[in-house]
Amino acid sequence: MIEVVYALWRRDMIKLLRDRRQLVTSLTRPFLWLLAFGFGLRASVRLPTGGADFVSFLVPGLAAMTVLFASMFAAISIVWEREFGFLKELLVAPVPRGAIVAAKILAGSATALIETSLMLVLAPLVGARFSPWGALASLPLLTVFGMTVNALGIVVAARMKSFEGFGSVVNFVIQPVFFLSGALYPIAGLPRGLRAVVLVNPMSYTVDAVRGLCIGHHSFPLALDAVVILGSAIVFGALATRAFRKMEA
Amino acid sequence: MTVAIEVQDLKKSYAAVEAVRGIDFTVAAGEIFGFLGPNGAGKTTTIKILCTLLQATSGVARLAGLDVGSSPAEVRRRIGVVFQDPALDDRLTAEENLHLHAVVYRVPRAERAARIDEALRFVDLYDRRKDLTRTFSGGMKRRLEIARGLVHRPDILFLDEPTTGLDPQTRARTWEVLRELRQKFGTTLFLTTHYMDEAENCDRIAIVDHGLIVALDTPAALKQRVGKDLVTARTAAPEALSRLLTEKYGLTSAPADGGLTFLVEAGDAFIVKLLTTDRPPLEGISVRRPTLDDVFLSLTGRQIRAEGAEGNAARLRALVRRRG
Repeated sequence: MIEVVYALWRRDMIKLLRDRRQLVTSLTRPFLWLLAFGFGLRASVRLPTGGADFVSFLVPGLAAMTVLFASMFAAISIVWEREFGFLKELLVAPVPRGAIVAAKILAGSATALIETSLMLVLAPLVGARFSPWGALASLPLLTVFGMTVNALGIVVAARMKSFEGFGSVVNFVIQPVFFLSGALYPIAGLPRGLRAVVLVNPMSYTVDAVRGLCIGHHSFPLALDAVVILGSAIVFGALATRAFRKMEA
Repeated sequence: MTVAIEVQDLKKSYAAVEAVRGIDFTVAAGEIFGFLGPNGAGKTTTIKILCTLLQATSGVARLAGLDVGSSPAEVRRRIGVVFQDPALDDRLTAEENLHLHAVVYRVPRAERAARIDEALRFVDLYDRRKDLTRTFSGGMKRRLEIARGLVHRPDILFLDEPTTGLDPQTRARTWEVLRELRQKFGTTLFLTTHYMDEAENCDRIAIVDHGLIVALDTPAALKQRVGKDLVTARTAAPEALSRLLTEKYGLTSAPADGGLTFLVEAGDAFIVKLLTTDRPPLEGISVRRPTLDDVFLSLTGRQIRAEGAEGNAARLRALVRRRG
């Protein structure tokens, strides 16, 4: 069974490494945010945290954003595979659907891990300052968050019958999760209603944990962050498995 | 006779449509069994149920004695499927596609490389094994899929419209491969087609129309059912021959280029009789067996090809509606 999961995981990895352009272009988004938004607003933003400048403050949020996009797009590849037929080959195979889901989630989060690691390695080059050990310690949390996002993506993809729905997924799933996560601003000063939304978003806890580890600024205890990150991965993993089981070719 | 596939009163309905309306058939191990019918007749639905990709609404389907609905995993291990549309990962090489398949179908590790090489050679793709499948032509993709279906040595190989969209040469080659496959491994082949001439490659054919089997027999017996053969005789004295046929045998003939044509049961035997007893002055004579086209026409009152094209158009319209 482990071999089957590994073979399916490896297939997605081979494709990722074969398409290196995707890796490079995936770095465009966080760096565009970092340069345009970070440097653009750096002078006008006064953080309640004192020490860190705005560019460094953004890095953890953008690391989580990189995971969010990479994992979600990796999951949406299921729709692509349905459109081009390969999904049928998997669905008719004598393996439990759970194994296919596990392989997908592991591959999606591995993709996200690679992309976010690249981003964290390159961020100091544009002047971001954060603890390298903190960033290293963040990687497991970012990976687990990637699993959650990938699982959510699978739930969405299992219902999507064509690629046309892709735009709405970006608009109605990715954007709100990103903008309402505290990735771009401290959540302390938010109005109560907005804050409530941020508090039910698993990404908020990921951003908080990574920010705590990298620049020492956080709103929740690290233990709470870890529990939420792990818990949501389990919940969404179960939902993804269920959605995949019910799927017909 | 070992039974490979057993289907009893199988039905499948979607929201508004009854795609399969109660079909029964049995396929023997090692048989090449064809499902022939126009698009929308229920062929693909039946194959999907047998491959465990769809749940039947009611009825029984057993593969090698295993119920398709209650033990899908065991069934899946024993079957290979070649889908109507290519189901390859086009960003992997031919070899990688087969390797993934070998792992997923639990081919013992020690045998994998040999099986993959064998399958690739079998379909003449060994030289292209390191190439990405996206660079393959339609025929090559189909052959690679057949190779993939062989890697785990399935007892039963399902092929949904295996040669649709292929050029005649590739179609002929595909059939060569399929016959070799049965000969070498004793694989049972279950295939669907809407090509009449292709159905003649099968041991037995079920003709399906509107979700029902309207006839099931060997191609020869089905053609026998239509009964009459078409005889074309070349003669310098068509009037004399025509009179002879009418007066002695009660046959009506029609004038044709350089002679005449007529329909008669068991044409070959009739010719021998005609030549030995009546010795009419003939320059040449030929018999054409009825084709499966004639069979389909006589059973359903429609031409399968016309129906097929219409079905395609309807499918396309449905697709456009869905997209729009």
